[in-house]
Amino acid sequence: MDKLETILSNHISKWNMVWFGLIFWGSVFNAIAIQFEVMLGSLIWYLSGLALGLIAKIRGTWLWKV
Amino acid sequence: MEGLEQIPEEFSFEKEKEIARSFSKRFQWEMMLIGVGQATIWLCLWPLVIYGYISLALGSFIAIICACFAYLPSHEAQHGNFSRGNPKRRWIDSFVSHFTLITLMFPHDLMRCTHMKHHAYTNNSEKDPDYDTSSSKSIWDVIVATQAGITKYQSIAEIYKNDKVFMKSFNKGLNIGLVYRAILLILVVIFPLETLLLWWLPSKIGVIYLSAFFGWYPHYQTETGRYKDTRFWTHWMPRYLNHSMQLHFIHHLHPGIGHYDEPKAIEALKPFLVARKVPGAEEIPERVKYNPLIRL
Repeated sequence: MDKLETILSNHISKWNMVWFGLIFWGSVFNAIAIQFEVMLGSLIWYLSGLALGLIAKIRGTWLWKV
Repeated sequence: MEGLEQIPEEFSFEKEKEIARSFSKRFQWEMMLIGVGQATIWLCLWPLVIYGYISLALGSFIAIICACFAYLPSHEAQHGNFSRGNPKRRWIDSFVSHFTLITLMFPHDLMRCTHMKHHAYTNNSEKDPDYDTSSSKSIWDVIVATQAGITKYQSIAEIYKNDKVFMKSFNKGLNIGLVYRAILLILVVIFPLETLLLWWLPSKIGVIYLSAFFGWYPHYQTETGRYKDTRFWTHWMPRYLNHSMQLHFIHHLHPGIGHYDEPKAIEALKPFLVARKVPGAEEIPERVKYNPLIRL
């Protein structure tokens, strides 16, 4: 149980921005696209969110470096 | 206690404490009302927006106001100003703080343990968890500093890793933070725009508001030391809109004084504050306007 907790904790601390980008920003981009009737398919919006998350992970921040 | 020897007997710490204590007894019902009230309104916004009773834009606007009101009730609870040392009433501190912080997605335990360290080491560049905002040179720096959210506290955990009480509270808070994050990610899949505009964006704006008025202005360009680390300041904004944070210095000196009793306490303690050379103390008016706030 402790090992699982450690693995999960490490994974979240390393990949939280990527998951957040994929799920949060992907969902938001997709919803905005639907709202504005941009019919490119959901996949592209979730991939955009994923890309945003990956960039944030590489940069270590979403916006500005402190 | 620095500078104690130069202070006349009439302004002794004991006398200061005695006066402060007389303002540290009242049950902070206004704060409880604000905390529970704003969180309840915020929760109600979800069905109201989802079922189309109000627009998402209006809901978002109300949620931002709620977020700006969310922290102060928790802050009172963190100092035990609801229970006032009565163990049977401690649940009120816990309940109000947990409930009001939902709007900001902040975990009570994490806020409490880091806030206690902020009080103990105000303006200490290594030990003060809020040093990033209090040392900011401009409001823009404050906004940039807030991006980190609660993850900024990871480095603080490293400093206090041997403090068992701190770490217990810290880790509990982190777990609650993870639950918040999980709920946010579930909600965004089901209600994407509502989650963005009712929770994520208001919480970000609330945290910027909080960092600017609680973390930055009161400590801007101040030093370390009990009477030096927080200042009296003035602002164009009516003080109800910035939660009277011009008066925050009295809270740092006597955290037990209830927020809505601070104006009266400051009037009573002004000679002590001037004698101690609290930054800006000489500019404190004889009568703090719209006082007392308790008669709403």
